[in-house]
Amino acid sequence: MSDGEPLVRWQWIGDHAGELADYTGVHLRLGLLPVLFGLIVSVPLGIACHRWRWLYAPVLTVTNILYSIPSLALFMIFVRYTGLTERTVMIPLTLYTLSVLVPNVVDGLASVPEPVRQAATALGFGPVRRVVQVELPIAVPVVIAGVRVAAVSSISLVAVGQLIGQGGLGYYITRGLQLDFPTPIVTAIVLIMLLALTTDALLVLAQRLLTPWSRNKVTSS
Amino acid sequence: MIRFNAVSKSYPNGTTAVDDLSLELAEGGITVLVGPSGCGKTTTLRMINRMVEPTSGTVSLRGRDIREVHAPELRRGIGYVIQHAGLFPHRTILDNIATVPLLLGWSRKKARARAAELLELVGLPEEMAKRYPNQLSGGQQQRVGVARALGADPPVLLMDEPFSAVDPIVRAELQAEFIRLQKELHKTIVFVTHDIDEAIKLGDNIAVFRTGGKLAQFDTPEQLLAHPADDFVAGFVGQDRGIRRLSFVKAGEVPLRDGPVLTATTPVAQARAAAEAWLLVVDDGRRPLGWAPAAELPASGTLADASLVPLGHTFSLVGDSARAALDSALLSPARLAVGVDADGAVVGVADAQELSAVAAAEVGEPAANAEKADGDDR
Repeated sequence: MSDGEPLVRWQWIGDHAGELADYTGVHLRLGLLPVLFGLIVSVPLGIACHRWRWLYAPVLTVTNILYSIPSLALFMIFVRYTGLTERTVMIPLTLYTLSVLVPNVVDGLASVPEPVRQAATALGFGPVRRVVQVELPIAVPVVIAGVRVAAVSSISLVAVGQLIGQGGLGYYITRGLQLDFPTPIVTAIVLIMLLALTTDALLVLAQRLLTPWSRNKVTSS
Repeated sequence: MIRFNAVSKSYPNGTTAVDDLSLELAEGGITVLVGPSGCGKTTTLRMINRMVEPTSGTVSLRGRDIREVHAPELRRGIGYVIQHAGLFPHRTILDNIATVPLLLGWSRKKARARAAELLELVGLPEEMAKRYPNQLSGGQQQRVGVARALGADPPVLLMDEPFSAVDPIVRAELQAEFIRLQKELHKTIVFVTHDIDEAIKLGDNIAVFRTGGKLAQFDTPEQLLAHPADDFVAGFVGQDRGIRRLSFVKAGEVPLRDGPVLTATTPVAQARAAAEAWLLVVDDGRRPLGWAPAAELPASGTLADASLVPLGHTFSLVGDSARAALDSALLSPARLAVGVDADGAVVGVADAQELSAVAAAEVGEPAANAEKADGDDR
C-alpha cells in the first residue's frame, strides 16, 4: 500500500454502489444456495443414518474427508467438468456443508425423547408420517443450529472462488490487491461480514418463528 | 374382549419375556398387570397393540386376531398412555389431544372441538389449550396424555405405569380422577404397574406376573389378598395384606358400640360416674369435640371446662372402609375409632380388637366376598 493512501475512500464506494449491490447479490447466491442444496442432501441422509446406525460412521468419515480437502484443490478438480462457472464454486461449498449438517440432522433426530417416539408409534403414526410430523419438527432447533454454522462459513468461503473468477465480493479483494488500493478490499470484507451476520440473525429469527414451543420453559403447577 | 392364547415372547439372546400366557380380559373393566421388573408385564401390554409381536400364540381383540389388522390402524383404535406422558413438545395441548382424530382424517375443526371436550373431561382449564407441553406440570401433562389416548373414543385403553413418574400426592389425585373417569366411560382398560397398592386400588382384576414372564395368579383384588396362589404371590402382595383386605370391607359393616359418649354440658360428677378412662365429648348435634381423660377432669363444672385431647380422625360409615376405621382406632388417644354418619354425628365406637374380628371373619368366607365393596376407600 502506498503511503498516504487512506484505508477507505468513500468517494469510490459511492461511485460503485450499483456494482457493489450486484456483486453482493451474487455473493449471497453463491454462499446460500450450497446451504440449501446441502440441507436437501443432509435431511434424507441424516434420517437414513439415524434409522440405520451402522451407516453413520462411514458417512461421517466421508463428509469429514471432503471437508478436509482444500477448496482450491476441489475447484481445480471441478473446473474440468463444470468450467469456470458458479457451479464449480457451489459444488465444493455444498460438500463442505455436509460435514456440519448431517451430524446436526442426526443429533436433532436423536434429541427426540424416547417416550415421544413411542407415543407416536402407539397412537398410530406410520414410520414415514412419524418422521415427517413428529421427529423432524422436534429436530428443527438442532438442525437450524447447524444451518447457522454452515451458512456463515459458506458465505465467507465464497471469496476463495475468485481463484476461478467466481468469488462474489471476493472480486474486490483480488482487484484491490492488484491495484494496491485498500478501499475495495475493506469494503468487500465489511460487506461479507455484514452478510454473514444478517443471515445468522435471520436464521435465529426463523427458528423462533418455527419453534415457538422451544421457548417459554415455564412450569406452572 | 382381549384374549391371549398360549402367547410367548422370547428374544434372540435367549431371554423369555412372556412364557405361554393364556388370559382373557373382560370387557369394560380394569385389568391390572403387576409384577417385579422383568416379569413381562409391559411386553404383554405392548403385544395388544402390536408394539411387540409374539414369538408364538395369538392375541385377539373382540374375536379377531390382531395380526389381521394393519398395525397403525389397529393402534388408532386403542388408546395408549405411557409413564412420561410422551406429549409432542412441538404441538399445543389441544393439537396433542387431537392427534388420533387427525390421523383418522377428521377435519381440523372437528378434531379440535373433540379435543376441547376431552380437555374439560380430564379436568384441565380451557386456557391450557394453546399452551405447549413444557409449560405444564408433570401431573397436568399426564392428564393431557390420558385425554390424548381418549381422542377417538377407543373402546380399549392401554396404560403403562401412567402415574408412577409423579409425586405421591399428585398420583393419588390422578388415581382418583381416573376412577371417576372410568365410572363415566366404562372402557376396557389394561393397566401396567409395579406397585401392588396401585393395582389393588384400581383393578377389577389383577394379573400377577413373576420373573420369567409367567402368570402367577389372575384374580380379583379380594381373592388375591385372601388367597394368594403361592408363596411368590403372597410375598409380592406383601406382609400387610391382612390390613389391606380391610379396604374391601365397608365401614358400615363394622359393629359399633355406644361407648362413653357425653355432651359438653354434662356435669363433671356425672361424667366421673361413667367410670371410663376416656370420655368422648360431643356437642349438641353429637358431633365429636375431643377426648377427655377421666383422670384430668376438673373438680367441678361441666365437660366444657375439661381440657380435651384431639380426636386423631374419625371414620365415616358412608364411604370409608374398615381400613380407615382401624387407622382411626390406632391414632385415637383412647384407642377407640369414632364412627360418624353423613352429618358428622357420632354413631358409635370400636377398638382395634373388634375391628380385626371383621378381617378374621372375612378370611373364612372368600366366596361371599368376591364382589368388591362399593364404598371402599379406593
